Amino acid sequence: MRLRYAISSVGLHARPAAVFVQAVLDSGSAVRIGRSAGDPNADGADGAGGAGSVDARSIVSVLTLDIKPGEAIVLIGEDERVLDRLAAILESI
Amino acid sequence: MVVTAPLSGIALPLHKVPDPVFAKAIVGPGVAITPNAEEQLVLAPISGRLIKLKPHAFVIAGPDGRAILVHLGIDTVQLNGSDSEPLATEGQLIRAGDPVARWHPERVIAAGLSPVCPVIALEASPEVISMIAEGPVVAGADLFTWL
Repeated sequence: MRLRYAISSVGLHARPAAVFVQAVLDSGSAVRIGRSAGDPNADGADGAGGAGSVDARSIVSVLTLDIKPGEAIVLIGEDERVLDRLAAILESI
Repeated sequence: MVVTAPLSGIALPLHKVPDPVFAKAIVGPGVAITPNAEEQLVLAPISGRLIKLKPHAFVIAGPDGRAILVHLGIDTVQLNGSDSEPLATEGQLIRAGDPVARWHPERVIAAGLSPVCPVIALEASPEVISMIAEGPVVAGADLFTWL
């Protein structure tokens, strides 16, 4: 399991969330997204980051997570290149 | 599952929405409504739990997990809620037809934005959406069927 931290530039409301989730689905890999550890909004930090993480392939889950503009997030997955690409998307959209 | 119109206006195909993310159904399939340009109550399109309520958009998940997104105008996140007042509480159970918000599409237009409202079946494939309304719709009337 690999972690990749990133800052969400515009937050994950409907449109950017849809673009992000589509990129996750296109990658064909299982990825989770959550608030990074240390964020006061994270519920029940587990020390490894990704507390309260959700399946990044589900737009319903990602919308429910309600990431705000400028929030620090963590991506959890197996493929480092996929995580890097997704982080770049989050930091640019 | 029948999805009812959250507001009154003119139903139009999603591909006519002036935003590529909605127009290309990247968010999901559905239909859009150009609202009548006056203050309106926005109604719940299905019964279920109001899992997300923002000034510019909300999501209701039905008992079987299928969820509908209603987006009040395009790029309206930047209005920071000056165009709508919530009448429900995030997390509550709600019935189809119950009011979710009071909305002012005329303020969206005055801000130079599109008031078009996509009503989206989240995580649905296009072929499960049928009986899609087109033309004038009244809030609470059938909008489309999610098989």
